[in-house]
Amino acid sequence: MNTHKKIISDLAPKKFGKRDTIWTISLIVIIIIGLIAYIDQLIKGQEVTNMRDYALWGIYISNFVFFVATSFVGSVTVAILRLTNNSWRTPLVRIAEIISVAAIIMAGITIMIDMARPDRLLNLFIHARLQSPITWDVVIIPSYIVISLLLLYFPLIPDLAILKEYFKKKKPTMSKWYGKLSLNWTGSKAQKAIQTKSIQILAIMIIPVGILLQTIDAWLFSTTYRIGWDSTNFAPYFISGAFVAGVGALVTLIYVVRKAKKLEHYITDFHFDKLGKLLVLACLIYLYFNINEYVIPLFTAKKGELTHLETLFTGSYSVIFWLVTIVGLILPIIALLFKKGRKPLPMFFIGLIVVIGSWWKRFVIVTPTLLHPFLPIQGVPESWHHYFPSLHEWLITIATLAMALLIITICVRYLPVVPIQRTIDELELNNLDKNTEL
Amino acid sequence: MKNQLKFRFVFLLFLGVFFITPRLQNLHAQEVKKNKVRLKADYFKIMNGESYLNLKATSKIEKKNTEVPNIDFTIYNIFDDEKITIGTAITDMDGKSKFIINSLSKLKPDSTGTFNLSVVFKGNDAFKKASKDISFKDAVIEAELITKDSLNYINAKLIDKSIDSVIVNESLGIQVERLFKSLRIGEEFNYTDENGTVLVPIKESIPGVDGNLIFEVILKDHDEFGTVKALVNAPIGVPIVTETTFDKRTLWSPRNKTPLFILVFANLLILGMWGIIVYLMVNLFKIKNA
Repeated sequence: MNTHKKIISDLAPKKFGKRDTIWTISLIVIIIIGLIAYIDQLIKGQEVTNMRDYALWGIYISNFVFFVATSFVGSVTVAILRLTNNSWRTPLVRIAEIISVAAIIMAGITIMIDMARPDRLLNLFIHARLQSPITWDVVIIPSYIVISLLLLYFPLIPDLAILKEYFKKKKPTMSKWYGKLSLNWTGSKAQKAIQTKSIQILAIMIIPVGILLQTIDAWLFSTTYRIGWDSTNFAPYFISGAFVAGVGALVTLIYVVRKAKKLEHYITDFHFDKLGKLLVLACLIYLYFNINEYVIPLFTAKKGELTHLETLFTGSYSVIFWLVTIVGLILPIIALLFKKGRKPLPMFFIGLIVVIGSWWKRFVIVTPTLLHPFLPIQGVPESWHHYFPSLHEWLITIATLAMALLIITICVRYLPVVPIQRTIDELELNNLDKNTEL
Repeated sequence: MKNQLKFRFVFLLFLGVFFITPRLQNLHAQEVKKNKVRLKADYFKIMNGESYLNLKATSKIEKKNTEVPNIDFTIYNIFDDEKITIGTAITDMDGKSKFIINSLSKLKPDSTGTFNLSVVFKGNDAFKKASKDISFKDAVIEAELITKDSLNYINAKLIDKSIDSVIVNESLGIQVERLFKSLRIGEEFNYTDENGTVLVPIKESIPGVDGNLIFEVILKDHDEFGTVKALVNAPIGVPIVTETTFDKRTLWSPRNKTPLFILVFANLLILGMWGIIVYLMVNLFKIKNA
């Protein structure tokens, strides 16, 4: 019983320390700066961005694609690991669910930032054409937000009931809130049956929906017939890329949360080793699709696509392209193949590099293609030939990333990042097994 | 006293500036050299259609031939040294103008049956006055489509109306109207025989909208008759079948023409997905009430 109390005490949300407060305030300041930049963009129009007639999708869209990709972590770790009965997932799934929720909410917001007239948002629904991948996106993103929230919420219910009791005397107001959110959870057989069934349905459902989300995101590009995008490989390429971005984000965040919340006993080297193996698997699959996407066209592409590939391999985007490919993908694979590379600290840096690489990868996917339109660029201002984000775009984009981190921070502050009930259950099960063996 | 004189002097000087300046401007205006405007006038007649003059005004400005817009023309019918005004015209931005002659029967020809017109520009601030005389006789082309031994021909007869006589040994062009430029049919020169006629065979398989072709028989830039054109409508072409997806259900159609597969499949997915979501939300209430 004392062990239970210790687990609850260890895993229950704790008040922010000085460092956490500074972190949160910094995020809020970045968001406010971004908000000011966005208001200025609303007033002056998208003229304040560096997007022009050719590069009409800039970092807003690449950032959107990054968020969508990162949200895939919910499908991968929570659902797939659950359905394959990988018990090592327990201390990791909650953080994965939180990342998934934060990323998909920010994807929805980011796409609205890219709209020159957000006041016409409703038109997307009123004049929706079911043939358009944009409409599919309009449908799938809210659906995925709801599913991700449900996937976060259902397993949380028993923990919220525990927290209600835990904070009853210490913090009655918080206890009241946890009580309301715990939906009168008593752990009765009927409640457990409904909850288990619902989680099972969600775990099954989120995999096709997650794949659908990534596929639609890929089809947004590949249905445009543009060089660099017009590829039948694009949907699996995006799915595998999302796998990498999601697990990379999970590794990074788990390290930070583990350190900040002192959860070394719950999230051990064993978990990092397992996550490392999952990440290297993701990276290898992604590398395979990269080879399909870039190496084969190098030998078979027609002139237009060859020009595009030259821009990536040796041209103006070659530095970013090779950094993303070698540093962001190949080096992590090599490092993760060694046991030492799968230790917590190296894993944190690898995860961070993979996430940064994933962000720039989306930039490399979106922008160079737009600068190779169907007709040669003629008689236009010199600035239209190139694209690099303006200050407004950077400030707003950084603010969206900060906003995602703020959502995660708030969740980490008020929710148990490691499932309490499940940890107790697993401990009891282990003890039972040991007793049976004896 | 001295101050008052000074004031008067300044006042007069001030007034003087106002009087002198416009005069100087006039002097300056007179010094501006006017450009010479060149006029071009061509007579056109479309059988069973309109007759008109194509007018054009150009000028050599800074050693460059330039079209002159807004040139006012007055068109006269000259008859026995008498100038009868028949209308006015003004050039457009390309220096061009089309003057439609309402009816040739209202114009008075000379004793040889020749119509003498004069296009006069009276000059303006920038251009000197100019005029252009144009003379033409009325010619008629009678054209028809005939079929001999399953072959189609354009049969055309050229007649000088001033003397009611056929015109012999003049070349007529036969062409079929196309989208951008007419396509020549037969030989380049088809000379009229002693009956004033030409007979030109039509090749099969000329495509036309709904199989309709418009043939043109044309007497081009003739010194005496100007340009005369007769049009023959002939439903002998191969109908153009345009492969349009306008009314079909495609990816690029409006939303009321969504492909049925997408319509059914996407809606099933949406309904299925949201059906499960609703079921899961109901489960939350069930947990609460259990």
